[in-house]
Formats: sequence, C-alpha cells, structure tokens
Amino acid sequence: MKMVLVGAPPSDTDGERALLRRARAGDPAAFRRLFERHAPGVWRFLRDLSRDEEAADEATQETFVRAHGRLGALRDEERVGAWLLGIARLVHLESRRGRGVQVDVEDEAHLREVEAVLPTPSPEDLLLDRELEGLLTQALGMLREERRAALLLRIDHGLPYEEIASVMGWSLQKVKNEIHRARLSLREQLAAHVGGGRP
Amino acid sequence: MSTCRESELDALLAGELSPEDAARVHAHAEGCAACRHALVWLRTERGWMAQRARRMPSRPALDFAALEARLAAKASAPARPEPRESPWRGWRTMLMGAMATMACFGLGLVRGVPASSTEEPWGAEVFVAAPGVESCEDAAAALEARVGACLIATPGLVASRH
Repeated sequence: MKMVLVGAPPSDTDGERALLRRARAGDPAAFRRLFERHAPGVWRFLRDLSRDEEAADEATQETFVRAHGRLGALRDEERVGAWLLGIARLVHLESRRGRGVQVDVEDEAHLREVEAVLPTPSPEDLLLDRELEGLLTQALGMLREERRAALLLRIDHGLPYEEIASVMGWSLQKVKNEIHRARLSLREQLAAHVGGGRP
Repeated sequence: MSTCRESELDALLAGELSPEDAARVHAHAEGCAACRHALVWLRTERGWMAQRARRMPSRPALDFAALEARLAAKASAPARPEPRESPWRGWRTMLMGAMATMACFGLGLVRGVPASSTEEPWGAEVFVAAPGVESCEDAAAALEARVGACLIATPGLVASRH
C-alpha cells in the first residue's frame, strides 16, 4: 500500500482560529486547509474505532460534511481537532448501529495483577517495527470500543483529559479510570514483546 | 501505582501540568519505582503512537475533491417538503391513543394480569443488546413528534446508551 508521511498532529494555534473564522465566513480555501490538517487524524481515529478502512473513508467524509454544515456552532474557545473527533465518534456510532452489536473480547478481571508483573520496556523497544505495529493495532482492537476511543483520544490525538470527558460524555474520573485500564490491557498484550522477553 | 496517579505522569509528559505540579510529580517519580516504571511505558507508548501516526496510508477519503463533490451534491439536492398539517390530525391522534389505551386495558382484563406486566427483566442492558431497538426508538421519536410530548425517546436515554 502506498504510504504518505504526515506531520505531527496539528495543534490549535491562533493561526487555526483565524482559519476557522475564515471558513465560517465562507472561505473555501480556509475550510480546505482545516480538512487537510485534520482529515488524517480523523480517518485514523475512525479506522481504529471501526477496524475497517473503507468504513473509515466513508465516515471521514461524512464527518467533514457535517462539520461544514455546523461551523457556525463551533465556539471560539473549542479546539477544532477535539470538535471534529467528537463528530467523528457520533458518525461512527450511527454507522455501527446498522452493523449489529459488537462482541467485546477484553477481560479486565485480572488487570490489577497485570500491573505488578509488567516488564519495563528497553530503549530498543521504542522502535515500532511492522510486527510490533501489527501487534499494537491488534491489542487496540481487543479493547472495548468506548475504552479504545478514550485511549486513542489521549495517546494518539493528544486531547487533554477534560476534552475527552466532553467528547465521551463521561466524568473526568471515569475518563482517567478507563484510560488507565485500557493502558494496562494494552501493556499486557504487548508485554511479551518488550523488555527483552517475558516478564 | 496504588497511591500514585498515572494520569498525572501522563500529563507531566504531555507538558500539561503547571510548573508547581510538574515539580511535585517529578520529585515523587524520582523516588518511586512504580512511577518510574509507568513513565517508561508512557514514553514508549507515545513513541509508538507517533510513529504509527506518521505511517498513514493514502486513502480516497483524504482527497478534498471528493469532499467538495459531496458538499456540492448535498447543496444541489432538493430540500424535503414539509408535511402539511391536517386540521384533523390532532383529533385523530387523540382518538387513536384512546382506542389503544382501551384495547390494552381490555386485554389486561381478559388475561387476568396487568397490561404492563412482563416476565422478562428489561432495562438499559436490554435496550442496548436487543436487535432492532433503533427502529423502536425511531418509531417512538416519530410518535413524540406527532403528539408533541416526550415519551421514551428522550435525548438522555439515547445518550446514556452510548
């Protein structure tokens, strides 16, 4: 598959606010710029939620169609990235309804014990080779969907905990608990591949 | 990590803490083996996710031209005409409601049990898992719109399912 390199997730700056104001005023170039900045992250979020690249294509486009129609509703103090990811999550939930109920494979009964026996990653483990990337994606896929969404909003999209609470409609404490559990579950799945061996 | 907070370590790495909080968390982590261990994992995860994000495949959804075409199609689509309100609609709705109530009441008398009783437990879990529940919600929402009253498809209930 052809790969493209994209930069780090965009940060909301005064420049982005200016772009937003122009887009609201009907400037198509400004909206295009917002799309180009945020569409890769939105697509990745949707791909990780649905685990289906074609479904993520469709949902990404739908997310931006809705965003285009609701630009006026975005408050100045809101971050565009978080707002778009919130819309993306709703689009995903709507499309998921038509595809039946998801089966959760995550077993969290033993997560407390997991914490005590995790190995410590070595500096070499920082390199994400193809095998490890596949394992990481697989481990993410095993998380309960809502928990996965919260974790991704934090570790992939860099949203502060308060913004994740807003996107997910959860209390701040629940966000912290869910992300912590998600991390433990992820680490358990990957423990055998870090720190030079099994714990 | 039982008395330590991973979210604080995470916020420390993300540069989200105030200078005072950052100094406090940093000082604690230096003397806490569990926090140092957690910090290594947090750094490793951040590194992995950053590398993963840079390996984005080229996808049709990322083409702005496709979005423009979609927006243009939406803009040119004819708006749905508003349904015309019949002067008899309100009376018809009330009559249908009264008939349905009488039918339920009558059935309850014939069967000897209250009409609202049910053997199966049902609640939020059943709402989430039952197939076709969305269509029930849609029907309820349509009914709410018709009678102009809040029945069961309240935003709170729908939101709580997610």
